[in-house]
Amino acid sequence: MRWIRNYEAEWEIFVVTEKILEVKNLEFSFDTYAGEVHAIRGVSFHINQSESLAIVGESGCGKSVTVQSIMKLAPTPPGRLKGGRIVYRGRDITNYGDRQMEKLRGKEMSMIFQDPMTSLNPTMRIGRQISEGIKKHEKISPEEARKRSVKLLKEVGISDPDRNIMRYPHMYSGGMRQRVMIAIALACNPKILFADEPTTSLDVTTQAQILELMNHLKREFDMAIVLITHNLGIVARFAERISVMYAGKIVETGKTQDIFYDPRHPYTWGLLNSVPAVGKKRTEQLPTIKGTPPDLFMPPKGCGFYDRCEYRMKVCKENDPPSTEIEGGHFASCWLLDQRAPSIEPYFVKRHSKENFGKDVI
Amino acid sequence: MPQKILEVKNLKKYFQISKGQVLKAVDDISFSIDRGKILGMVGESGCGKTTVGRTIVHLYKPDEGEVLFNGINVHELNNKKYRQVTKKMQMIFQDPYASLDPRKTVSAIVGEGIDIHKLCRTKTERMEKIYETLEMVGLNREHANRFPHEFSGGQRQRIGIARALAVGPEFLVCDEAISALDVSIQAQIINLLIDLQKRLNLTYLFIAHDLSIIRYISDDTVVMYLGTLVEKAETEELFENPLHPYTIGLLEAVPIADPDYEKSHKHDLLSGEVPSPINPTPGCRFSSRCKFAKGICNKETPFLKTAGKGHMVACHMVHSEEW
Repeated sequence: MRWIRNYEAEWEIFVVTEKILEVKNLEFSFDTYAGEVHAIRGVSFHINQSESLAIVGESGCGKSVTVQSIMKLAPTPPGRLKGGRIVYRGRDITNYGDRQMEKLRGKEMSMIFQDPMTSLNPTMRIGRQISEGIKKHEKISPEEARKRSVKLLKEVGISDPDRNIMRYPHMYSGGMRQRVMIAIALACNPKILFADEPTTSLDVTTQAQILELMNHLKREFDMAIVLITHNLGIVARFAERISVMYAGKIVETGKTQDIFYDPRHPYTWGLLNSVPAVGKKRTEQLPTIKGTPPDLFMPPKGCGFYDRCEYRMKVCKENDPPSTEIEGGHFASCWLLDQRAPSIEPYFVKRHSKENFGKDVI
Repeated sequence: MPQKILEVKNLKKYFQISKGQVLKAVDDISFSIDRGKILGMVGESGCGKTTVGRTIVHLYKPDEGEVLFNGINVHELNNKKYRQVTKKMQMIFQDPYASLDPRKTVSAIVGEGIDIHKLCRTKTERMEKIYETLEMVGLNREHANRFPHEFSGGQRQRIGIARALAVGPEFLVCDEAISALDVSIQAQIINLLIDLQKRLNLTYLFIAHDLSIIRYISDDTVVMYLGTLVEKAETEELFENPLHPYTIGLLEAVPIADPDYEKSHKHDLLSGEVPSPINPTPGCRFSSRCKFAKGICNKETPFLKTAGKGHMVACHMVHSEEW
């Protein structure tokens, strides 16, 4: 819930921001020959209407699986939903089957993938791939569907859409293909768009263009975007809220400002520290997080970050830290936030400003 | 020992695609690297960075121009003499998953170069050398008998580095050596590369598309666009005072991990995409995307000219009256 205040016109409105999606204690595992991989171990988060949430973390931490299990795109078996609840606009969709999900996918929630080269069908013309979803969800004449596809292509910034809907994916560059993917995802005006590393395979200049486009479309279509990425620069540019994932759990959640300027979890500190910034000169050594993430075949009993944490205490090994609220929606799961924990040196915030941009950062 | 370990002079590499269609991957570029320095090379995909790297280590034959390594033209050597050069010049590849033979053990991969160059006389000496190299890159002896699939991405890249270092090179071409790795692992490998460079007094040609890493690691930087060099300068100078419109656009596009900065800063993004390098149009290659482009840019190819101390830029408009 939030107030929107217009100071010039002197009016205020009370906007109830609806929690459009709520995930509670989600647990998802994969059964393999080697044993059970506990990919997600109790993840809870929510997405508000028309906000942008970023999920960050290393590869293998469960970012993608979280989203795929919500969309029911993770193959079951070997995947298995072990517990938790997924509530979409008041409806419990946890146990929805394929039929029911088909009604939601595309129309209510949609997804774009990392690799636009492999996610498009090479044997289908672009136009047909876009209108496929529209035809599925709406009773619409072929001519009408074609018109919609043209409009969508124009919307995502592809010039000469009339000709372009007749082309095949291989005729496009990586950036153009990602635009086509976005057009397909937006075809039925979804309320949530999941973007799984949408710019990782693209060049910086193209990446910037795609991010700009997604930002623009978010406002225009009034949808929520969940962005999965490991690039903290993209997060800073794009997200309103951030969830940091580690070893199948969300270790810290908060507004973008909270995570960047007042991070509380040692893993978040490590993540923020290990980014070489464009505005930063070479110092002696780039700080790294030593070691590797834990084996999710045998997830640790206590805190997942225990082995790599500089501040570990006795309690961390055996007991999983509870999620503690710092203030206004900023949560972190770390025993350091407990009252009994010793005080430590606070995290040193790195900031860029116009004056020192390009120079060594204070 | 000459001061310049590597000199590339007017290098051209064209690929004949079909009749009448020539892909000009590298079109007349020149640069040099001083001993013990790291030269960063940036550019978008398809701009010819990798082709330059591969031509330098003799994986491709150039169409024109020469590559001088310690003053010797690499492409004019016979096989025997060339072997002397490969010992001093090695390459680290981008994809640690694809560049290691899955059927060989780590010791076979690392030892291959030692055998080819006959660096060790006895078997024990050879194994000692392999162990030593593995330990140098942060792996242990026990890893020697394992296969590549048993390792994580970061560890595999360490094997790739060990393979390159085993023959005792002076110069390494790192072709996107860390872009396939995770963020936290990237930092570890960067630290390792910098540490090795200092310890063994190596020289790197560091090819990457990630500007923040280039800034962090390299002493000098060259920017490539569609097979040509558009700007070269000391790294600090280039990032603080970029002159070419393409370099400026590239720097603008990089998102900075600081939300307040991102909010307050208006991004001036490059529009469009890299045009095809097949049969490129005359004049400045960047003119189709450049907002400063004037008539001259479509007619004449700009050459690198000096624009400050050690700062070279290939643009008609820089320091001209219209600028």
